[in-house]
Amino acid sequence: MKVFGKIQKFLLQGLGVICALVFAVLVIDVLFAVVMRHFFEQPAWTEELARLLLVWLAILGGVLAYAADRHLGVDVLVARFDTSTRRWAQVVGHVMVLGFAVSVLLMGGWQLFSERLDSGQMMPGLGVPRAWFYFVLPVGGFLIMCLAIEKILIGLDVVKEGSEEKGVVS
Amino acid sequence: MSEGLAVLLVSFAVLLLLEVPVAFVIGIATLLGALALGREGSFVTVASDLANGLNSFPLLAIPFFILAGELMATGGLARRLIDFASSIVGRKKGGLSVVNTLTCMLFGAVSGSATAAISSVGGAMIPEMERKGYPRDFSVALTATAATTGLLIPPSNVMIIYALAATNVSVGALFLAGLLPGVVTGLAIMVVAVLVSRRFHPAGSADPSAMLVQEVPLFWRSLWRALPSLFMLFLVVGVIILGWMTPTESSAIAVLWSLLLVCVFYGDVKWGQLPAILINAARTTGIVLLLIGTSAAMSRLLTFEQVPQAAAAALLAVSENPLIILLLINVALLCVGVFMDMTPAVLVFTPIFLPVAIGIDLHPVHFGIIMIANLCIGLCTPPVGSCLFLGCGVGKTKIAGVSRAMIPFYIAMFGALIAITYFEDLSLWLPRMFGELD
Repeated sequence: MKVFGKIQKFLLQGLGVICALVFAVLVIDVLFAVVMRHFFEQPAWTEELARLLLVWLAILGGVLAYAADRHLGVDVLVARFDTSTRRWAQVVGHVMVLGFAVSVLLMGGWQLFSERLDSGQMMPGLGVPRAWFYFVLPVGGFLIMCLAIEKILIGLDVVKEGSEEKGVVS
Repeated sequence: MSEGLAVLLVSFAVLLLLEVPVAFVIGIATLLGALALGREGSFVTVASDLANGLNSFPLLAIPFFILAGELMATGGLARRLIDFASSIVGRKKGGLSVVNTLTCMLFGAVSGSATAAISSVGGAMIPEMERKGYPRDFSVALTATAATTGLLIPPSNVMIIYALAATNVSVGALFLAGLLPGVVTGLAIMVVAVLVSRRFHPAGSADPSAMLVQEVPLFWRSLWRALPSLFMLFLVVGVIILGWMTPTESSAIAVLWSLLLVCVFYGDVKWGQLPAILINAARTTGIVLLLIGTSAAMSRLLTFEQVPQAAAAALLAVSENPLIILLLINVALLCVGVFMDMTPAVLVFTPIFLPVAIGIDLHPVHFGIIMIANLCIGLCTPPVGSCLFLGCGVGKTKIAGVSRAMIPFYIAMFGALIAITYFEDLSLWLPRMFGELD
């Protein structure tokens, strides 16, 4: 399983780099739009690009947060459980996340993406099919699915913890 | 109540208690509710509602303010603001607690984030207060409550989220409206802090003057050093009010300014640290925006099921008296705030309560301020109080002890909330002066 952990660490670092890049481009894009709007004429693609990058940043950042267990949760009840019950509760929780990631993000998102691709709707400023706006849903769904499966396996003791899924990119 | 709604509510409660991340809880509950209602293509609908909920230009201000906050928290802004606050109030009795409150207000305001204020200001002030004889639980409670005032003092991310949920509310007006309520809450906290800290004595010395700030920095010098940070307030809020920029544009300028501040002027952050800062900000953005996306999907379903209308009818059936309805809404929001974080609470409950508020002639801007001031209290209460938890983490204390030290501060915040609720002018006077309200 060591190889698995290494691959995962590598992928998460890659995802972190992608997020940082998306974020940087987003900032530069909006600053550029500000300058253009005030002194020249704002090109239409700047806002389209900003919206596109925002949704990508949101979902991929959400994956990063899930990988690091940083999403907000409520531990009122589970904090009162003993360790093994708590672990089972966490496994159930990750199974629910897995279900959501697969059904809504991966499958629903993929259907959305392919429907929009077929419809041929474009983002006029960027000259790209609007479908790419939705493409991040299946991508994010797939990544969360992989992470959730790993977390479930760790919870069930199939895989030992310490494959460094926490705070890799921090 | 329809079966679909029952499924939604039950699955929401069960999943929340199982410590499933709230963003997913909202998404899954929405999905199950939609499935129970037998709506066609529920998977695709939830997916597209989620993505479309994020497809908004005003929403861009949120990652930008997060990034600016992250930059400011990494750089040495907190130290300069602490010095500035010390130079004003450091000589007074109980001064250090007032310095802490003032710094949290300033830092929370410039960074637009309560959590950034707790980790930056609390990280520096809590140990310092302990050395001067303040109990740690007290310092943590003070920092956590004081930091929430930064959510009322502009610029503030949660106001952008409210404007998004309320539709047709100007962010500029909200920003201006939050200023006085934020200051009033801060003053209430300061008064309580000074009253409570009279009981404390510095370790090993009966001389109360040992609790004062020694070597108070010179006012002008520290003002000069803090000025570039304080300029952020004008830069972000001023340009919006003057109509030069939209909130999104001004938030991008805030990123640029904080970058210049920490990398060039102060030189506290090396350029090589930027990728790590960007990744951290991306992760926080993911936490907030995923919540916004799934909350948008849930809101759509609730609206489709006419829940807001039903809630309004139920509330209005209890009483027609606006004062009592306001009280009921406040009590309901306090309960919501205890169990839910601010962002999802604003997104889910604004569409439900705002129509009622408008029905009793409350201005949407005023209602937004009430709602935020109210949910600020929830940020400091167990079981779901992100400020309380973070404060305990930063101060390395236990929640139980801090919760007890919190009680006087709850009273201060509650008093401020009552004032904000029943004195409309506290919120609306400033935006009216600037002609931001019709």
